[in-house]
Amino acid sequence: MSRQLHINVNILNAGVFGGSWRFQGTDGLASFTIEHYTSIAKKAEAAKLDAVFLADGPVVDPNIRYRPNNNLEPTTVLARIAAQTEQIGLIGTLSSSYNDPVELARRLGDLDYLSGGRLGWNVVTTAGAAAARNFGRPAEPDHALRYRRAAAFTEQVVAQWDARAGFASPQGRPVVVQAGGSSDGRRLASRVGEVIFSADQDIDHARAFRTEIRSGAVHFGRRPEDIVLLPGLSTVLGSTEEEARRRREILDEVLPDAYARRRLSGQLGISLDGLSDAAPIPAELLVEPDEAGGSQTFYRVVKAIIDQENPTLAQLLRKLSGGGGHRIVVGTPEQIADDMERWFRYGAADGFNVMPDVLPSGFDDVADQLIPELQRRGLFRREYEATTLRGLLGLRAPAQAAVPHEAVPLEAAR
Amino acid sequence: MSRAIILELAVGSDLSAPEAADVVAAARDAGVSAIRLLDGGAGQVLDPNTVASYLAARLADVHWIVDAPTTHNAPYNLARRTLALDRATGGRSGLVLRAGEGDEVSAATVPDPSASGRSQRWAEYAEVLTRLWESFPAAALLGDQAAGLLAEDSLIRGIAHEGSFYRVSGPLDGPSSPQGRPVLAAADMDQLDWASVAGAADVVVVNRAQAPAAQGALADALGRTGRKRAEIALVGRVAVTAAEASADNVAAELDEWATSMGLDGLELRPPDGRAGALTVAHNVLPRLQSSAGASLRAALGLPELTGART
Repeated sequence: MSRQLHINVNILNAGVFGGSWRFQGTDGLASFTIEHYTSIAKKAEAAKLDAVFLADGPVVDPNIRYRPNNNLEPTTVLARIAAQTEQIGLIGTLSSSYNDPVELARRLGDLDYLSGGRLGWNVVTTAGAAAARNFGRPAEPDHALRYRRAAAFTEQVVAQWDARAGFASPQGRPVVVQAGGSSDGRRLASRVGEVIFSADQDIDHARAFRTEIRSGAVHFGRRPEDIVLLPGLSTVLGSTEEEARRRREILDEVLPDAYARRRLSGQLGISLDGLSDAAPIPAELLVEPDEAGGSQTFYRVVKAIIDQENPTLAQLLRKLSGGGGHRIVVGTPEQIADDMERWFRYGAADGFNVMPDVLPSGFDDVADQLIPELQRRGLFRREYEATTLRGLLGLRAPAQAAVPHEAVPLEAAR
Repeated sequence: MSRAIILELAVGSDLSAPEAADVVAAARDAGVSAIRLLDGGAGQVLDPNTVASYLAARLADVHWIVDAPTTHNAPYNLARRTLALDRATGGRSGLVLRAGEGDEVSAATVPDPSASGRSQRWAEYAEVLTRLWESFPAAALLGDQAAGLLAEDSLIRGIAHEGSFYRVSGPLDGPSSPQGRPVLAAADMDQLDWASVAGAADVVVVNRAQAPAAQGALADALGRTGRKRAEIALVGRVAVTAAEASADNVAAELDEWATSMGLDGLELRPPDGRAGALTVAHNVLPRLQSSAGASLRAALGLPELTGART
């Protein structure tokens, strides 16, 4: 059988757009209930998706006044989804900075076992001072140190999985997912990542990124095909082009005004106070991505848009739409399928982490319209061909881990 | 009189998750007030919070009390998991905070490196949990779509905890539980002093040897906290052997013992394995008068919370 797309749904609370929770016909508080997540997961399984994906950070979103945040601890949600589904993969985001590796390895391993080998762990280092303060730190640890710890932490967790005596994993071990787009993050991805959840606006850049990660894997003694690259893709679907465009306009109209600026300000780590909507952000305010703190991935994406398009602040806010920098596609199921097929065949993606504009309605459109279109093209499975997440992703059973590196505490450089 | 009747289980190598689901269903049908999920260590027992969330998806209306130690758990993480389970179960969950040591993340920035003592750690940890569970009141969620106001964030407040063992800013990421807060239980009275426990616990579990002195010790300790005796459920934990579980008079004996000790509840430890646990569920539980209620708090006979503790 020819190669096919891998597709996850990112159940990002009410949807990726800042105004998703206000979209017509949406229960604005549904994403604070567990049923929101389990019902989308059941629908995703019926659509034969590879996995559900839960983003997370151990912190309340500073913009909670204007939009929902991720507000339910992922392993607790995934355990519930595991009980109510049979085959779909379960990917949860858990911080390498703010978890104890002994506890995390045990809990994830147990969830993997309970779910029949369907678990993936998205390793994040967790940006921001607010999260750091929940764990006794006055500020976020240095970016490079966070990533050094992430590498050692991940290897430590993997080694514990491989050493498990009881409750062995039906898939060999849980799948390691990684999302960092920074230089440090790319190194980590090549070294330990099996699924890479990337953020990219440009197909050529995405292809170069995929090539870099795959050859990086070879450098670490792995094979290129040991990595599945899934860029984030925000979808705005309509049954006609006009309907999709109108949906996109409504999402801009319902974006809470105060939110978009605050969100962008937080992502760039600079104040936007006093800046005019009608002019571009002054270049002197923007440092090079590797020097930025916080999330370098999103800094990089936003900086690239600014460098290439020089938009006014208002245009930039509209382009991002409170969505945070993942690529937004607007169109009919055929048009979006065309786009996905182009990225796939060009070598820019092995599939996508789909981030519907509004949940659940935007995912209903994905499951009911987009997936059948991809199936008609032979680009997506009609039936599950494996019982584990590793199997669905076409990843081979892992070799035994190398001897783990020594633990790297977050305070090593202080 | 009715009492909180708790059945304890350790799900893992001796009792698989599907077997546990059978036992829990039988216990529920026999009117059990709550299921306590013990931890017996990695490789022997599956992570109790994960098991509770998994089983709760298939067994609605059951109440869960889940063990987790201070060891290897930063308070913010444990607060989140417990509250997530409690919200997912509609206010039917709680935590037995087991006495222990610290975790790798918190230890690196411990405010007072000389701080020691399991009881002291437990008390501080319990205070952090309680305050975090109250830090994002559900009433702060507005969902006002017309005005574009999702939440009244002035009601969501950090806890700025600065103690000897932990420094935690808060607030928690999600809204408070339908029962106010998850139920917090203590169960290591060989390691914890009564003063620490009386200030924070909703439930105290004692064993047979500890039971005779428990009532007096709790009353003494409560006198110094300002809390009322009715705010705490004192639960006696007893092992029920296979022979006892089959005897007709075991329930009456347990009831008599609980009355003589002034206990508000009983926690039954069944024999290992599915068959033994099912015997307890079928033969013992129906003969005990179990308290019941929609929330775990109510099911344990605890009063409703009337505002924040902290």
